[in-house]
Amino acid sequence: MAHFDLSFYSPSLRKNAKLVVFLPSMSADDFLLDRPVRYFEPGAKYQTLYLLHGSYGDCMDWPLFTGLERYAQDHCLAVVMPSAENSSYENMVFGEEYLNYVTKELPCFLRRLFPLSDKREDNFIAGLSMGGYGTFRCALECPENYIAAASLSGALDKASTKTSTEAHSVKMPKRYRKAVFGESGEIVPGSDNDLRALLKKRVDEGAKLPALFHTIGEDDFLREGGEAYIAYAKELGVEIKYTLHPGVHDWNFWDSYIKEVLDWLPLANDMV
Amino acid sequence: MALIETHFFSTSLCFGTDLNVFIPTPNVDELSVEGEYDYFHDGAKFQVLYLLHGGFGDYTDWMRLTSIERYAQAHKLAVIMPSASNSFYQDMALGSDYLTYVTKELPEFCRKMFPISTLRENTFVGGLSMGGYGALRVALEKPEEYGCVFSLSGALDINATLEQVLNSKEAPSPFNPYTGKPSAPAADPKIVFGAASVAGTDADLFALAAKRKAEGRPLPRLFQSVGTEDFTYAGNRSAYKALTDLGMDVTFEEHPGVHNWEYWDTHVQRALDWLPLANNSVKE
Repeated sequence: MAHFDLSFYSPSLRKNAKLVVFLPSMSADDFLLDRPVRYFEPGAKYQTLYLLHGSYGDCMDWPLFTGLERYAQDHCLAVVMPSAENSSYENMVFGEEYLNYVTKELPCFLRRLFPLSDKREDNFIAGLSMGGYGTFRCALECPENYIAAASLSGALDKASTKTSTEAHSVKMPKRYRKAVFGESGEIVPGSDNDLRALLKKRVDEGAKLPALFHTIGEDDFLREGGEAYIAYAKELGVEIKYTLHPGVHDWNFWDSYIKEVLDWLPLANDMV
Repeated sequence: MALIETHFFSTSLCFGTDLNVFIPTPNVDELSVEGEYDYFHDGAKFQVLYLLHGGFGDYTDWMRLTSIERYAQAHKLAVIMPSASNSFYQDMALGSDYLTYVTKELPEFCRKMFPISTLRENTFVGGLSMGGYGALRVALEKPEEYGCVFSLSGALDINATLEQVLNSKEAPSPFNPYTGKPSAPAADPKIVFGAASVAGTDADLFALAAKRKAEGRPLPRLFQSVGTEDFTYAGNRSAYKALTDLGMDVTFEEHPGVHNWEYWDTHVQRALDWLPLANNSVKE
């Protein structure tokens, strides 16, 4: 198990960026049990999951608060965990280009540094809460990048976040929201930031979409918005796999159901 | 400039270990000038320096106590900084297999994970003090893999160093305030080498170099630098003589200075200038 804390100058962000990359490699268990491993075969590459944190978080969240690295090791899956402040993974109207960073810069940059597969069938994206929104945002921005995209408790529907009285919504500084989305500080209906509008646009274009998945807790404040979005997608003829589990908007839920996401992804469970 | 702090399980050591890896990537100054960032492209590989810490140190020393990142970026050189405890980069008599780790497992791991060259002409090893000894030990272990070595204030005359340790007059053997007693020296001969003297064994760099020469294998080129007030100064003078007598190509420098980071931060720059660097990425 190899864990990399990486910092470098990002042209999209115009500042130093930090991220965590996990690449499966010989583990103590592999070693003790004499498991056959293919990590070091010439030309062998990793399937790669881009895994996004939520608002108020950063690249250390998934490694610190879940057993993700252990699960990824079991699936022989590389995981890339960037930091994106509270940008909603957008190209901020006033600020950094996080959407370009995640969808364009990171895949190109990281494939030069690490043995990551560049095939669509080997690339996935997932995230929680704001990162669930970011997952669909990235997947619909560059559907050619990813074969599958999974939202955990994602804020998929703008209406639900707009009306929420949860601390997640009300404590977010208004000036930051304006930097992300422009003067209104809200997602502009019909823009590419509006996942309904963006989905319709891609459907109208006949784009080949990644497989989509959404899972959420029964008592999560974002549950209704997610269900409304899935119903809307269905009207457009887009099937989003949906599962509902006991739970709320917290790390107990995400630590449990990231495993469901990994089981759902079309993984080789080996080097490719 | 990408700094990659790495944590992974080592089968040679049988525990998790850490390394810092530096890979040159375009910084904002380079990105402001067309042509200056072209070295970072698909398929680009980098010349690589394995950079070894000294006794009582670890994989963070070089990053924290020198400006090695800035120097390496200027030269477009990848740098790999492992941790090796107080092992003298040996397969320890009582301890872990650090020589195997640094000469076999680490290159295999890094060549898989990072875009570094596998060619001898692009692979270098250097270090300070215990790591200066370790650098030459590593290069002589696998002389077909390392073309050039540098040692700053290295304990190259290991027998002289061990005598200093046993007499415990000149070599540092720091005090432990928690036990109220001196702690063991970095190079405890019994623990590291299994004997009070290593004369004639592979741990004796002069004997090992002579053995490689007799085997008809290539000897690496060596850059050797030491401060005139350094407690390893006499050992470095004797090492220079012994190694050049064997026909090794050695560049020797001495400058005013002692056994400290000011010396190493200054003179690692001269060592990099001495290395045959492309100052660019390479093809393979």
